[in-house]
Amino acid sequence: MKLTVGISPHKKASYSTRWVMKQVIIGLIPAMAASVYFFRMSAVSLILTCVFGAVISEYLVVKIRKADFSLSDYSAVVTGILLALVLPPKIPLWAAFLGSVFAIVISKQIFGGLGQNIFNPALAGRAFLMAAFPVMLTSWVQPFSLDAVTTATPLSLWKFSHQFVGLGKLFIGNVSGSLGETSSLALIIGGVYILVRKAADWRAPLGMFLGVTVTSGVFYLIHPASGSVLFHLFAGGVMLGMFFMVTDPVTTPVTKSGRVGFGLAVGILVIIIRKWAGLPEGVMYSIIFMNSFVPLINKFTRPKSFGRR
Amino acid sequence: MLKLEECKYPQERIAVEKFFPEKVVVPLSQHTGALPELIVNKGDSVRTGALLAKAVSLISANIHSPVTGKILDIKEYNHPVLKRSRAVVIESQSKEPFHIDKSKSLREYSSEEMLDRIRRAGIVGMGGAAFPTAVKLKPPKGVDTLIVNGCECEPYLTCDHRLMLEHTEGVLKGIEVVSKIINPKKVIIAIEENKQDAVKKFNSRLHTRKYNLPEVKVKILPTIYPQGAEKQLIYNTIRRVVPSGKLPFDAGCVVQNVGTLFAVYEAVYFDKPLIERIVTFTGSALSEPKNLLLPVGTLIEELFSSGVLKFKKEAKRVISGGPMMGLSLPSLDFPIMKGTSGILFLTEEDLDLREESDCIKCGRCVDTCPMNLLPLEFPRLVKKGMYKDLEEYYISDCIECGNCNYVCPAKISIVEYIKLGKAKIRDLNSKRKKL
Repeated sequence: MKLTVGISPHKKASYSTRWVMKQVIIGLIPAMAASVYFFRMSAVSLILTCVFGAVISEYLVVKIRKADFSLSDYSAVVTGILLALVLPPKIPLWAAFLGSVFAIVISKQIFGGLGQNIFNPALAGRAFLMAAFPVMLTSWVQPFSLDAVTTATPLSLWKFSHQFVGLGKLFIGNVSGSLGETSSLALIIGGVYILVRKAADWRAPLGMFLGVTVTSGVFYLIHPASGSVLFHLFAGGVMLGMFFMVTDPVTTPVTKSGRVGFGLAVGILVIIIRKWAGLPEGVMYSIIFMNSFVPLINKFTRPKSFGRR
Repeated sequence: MLKLEECKYPQERIAVEKFFPEKVVVPLSQHTGALPELIVNKGDSVRTGALLAKAVSLISANIHSPVTGKILDIKEYNHPVLKRSRAVVIESQSKEPFHIDKSKSLREYSSEEMLDRIRRAGIVGMGGAAFPTAVKLKPPKGVDTLIVNGCECEPYLTCDHRLMLEHTEGVLKGIEVVSKIINPKKVIIAIEENKQDAVKKFNSRLHTRKYNLPEVKVKILPTIYPQGAEKQLIYNTIRRVVPSGKLPFDAGCVVQNVGTLFAVYEAVYFDKPLIERIVTFTGSALSEPKNLLLPVGTLIEELFSSGVLKFKKEAKRVISGGPMMGLSLPSLDFPIMKGTSGILFLTEEDLDLREESDCIKCGRCVDTCPMNLLPLEFPRLVKKGMYKDLEEYYISDCIECGNCNYVCPAKISIVEYIKLGKAKIRDLNSKRKKL
């Protein structure tokens, strides 16, 4: 009999980081499927490009740092998928590839790899592309259209032409917009899955939901042309952000109340940007902005230790 | 707090069996505090209950012979906590039980006399920390509540559960004794809801018989770990917070484990020293689990060589205590001690030996920490050698319950880092004192 010795606890939960990442990938399947349905081959090639770009850059950086790649999890795959889902369907693939390299190399590995990055890598990748190629990042197409005729998204129609797209269309996702943001339905299905499986914590999504709902609700009551609560929930990147961005463990607070507050602040900022900023959409900037406050939020929401004042 | 898989079936239903070993190895260090002074020599003959080593100070404990026989040797032997420590090796020559003297009844003792019997009997806390009980029963401040700890929140273990079922009366008499000593206004018997049969037993006794007790009630607590940890138990029963670095009496209460109370009963009523205890043997490597009443010093090995226990599968890890806080033993050549609640035999499938990966700051450890600490900070700071910062995160408050480590998806050995960090701080502090 050969016994191993070790420090307690001797039993551990069966899940692992890899399992968590796998659940997130499963949770993203409905949104990916919807994007393929609406945008056909553009969706397939965009997702594959971003995932390939993310995984290959992760592999190369890990090799350069002489770490063990087999120990890494599926987080690069998640980053790749998320980046693809926040890009316009007809973005040139070389630009998407560049974005995924930036997401992994600059915004994740330079900070020290998994767990060390400050900003959500996928959103940082998109922010980089937005700064580098603003026109590419604001050229949208209608679903099912094979030719790249530029159209406006529901949010820019609302903001610049005061037109509303029907809620039903918005909910199903038959509108122009980023690849994986259009179908709220698909995102809710996948989002509920990761929450039920406890691969993600529900507090930040709840906070963001409340932030968007209350802020847009107040604006709507004062001035109905501001757009209804449901319009703001289903248009743009709110659903993707709520279920898959503010639930990123690395770039959000570690305390329970901090997570609620983080989500709440993101939700409020989204509506403020939509309402008053020059941009029609603010999910990406709200989250990146709040990412930078995470250490501060952690500090101020640190729970009172049991038995301490 | 954390909901864990209980793993208490079927041993919770299995009655306690007795076993007499042919040899015992009785370590001198079985408690928190000073090492007692040996008063016997190699070659001496001893009877069951004879004093082997005498307490040297207040925080120390007597050690008695658990068997009648001859002292074969006094030497360094395997020890679950200290690795090697001095122990008395006794060959058992007859199965003579402890001679019980029933001549005196409780009424005749003053609380000083009772306390003295408890001290003489070498009783220490049997729930884990093994702190001398007589010291705990003489708090420097008055207390108003006695909390009886019948939680047994660690998975697998059932020794306290069986004791509560099979010796309800003895435990209640122990409670009576302690109440007479500390004179509380209220007694709370705290039991987790997975032990309803024990709850019923206590309630029916309390309803049908007369005990010399103040207000007493059985409180059912949810089965969540670590419900039986002293500070958590005090909060969950009487909503009082024990300040950091302080003891239960600072919150006006005393907590006693049911096993300790039974030992108190035997000591006061029969002048019987603490020389035996119930130990749970279980785990998927065993062919059948058992609860055994064993003389202190029984070697785990002898239970297998005598056929009392049998392996069904290959054990990969043997643990003294529960799976969350127990100590891993490198072999079976280890003695049962006063504080040994169980020995677990786990197979490879039970263990999680996956390699540690990077912390993803998911906050699961924070959510589950019963002391409201930020466990994720400890491995980070220890790895960087930032020992001073550990204290800012209140590392000294950590009770090492293992919850953070259990829930960590990155499989980081948080408790190991915490133990290391605490040891480093102790080193640094003692060096500072020397300077």
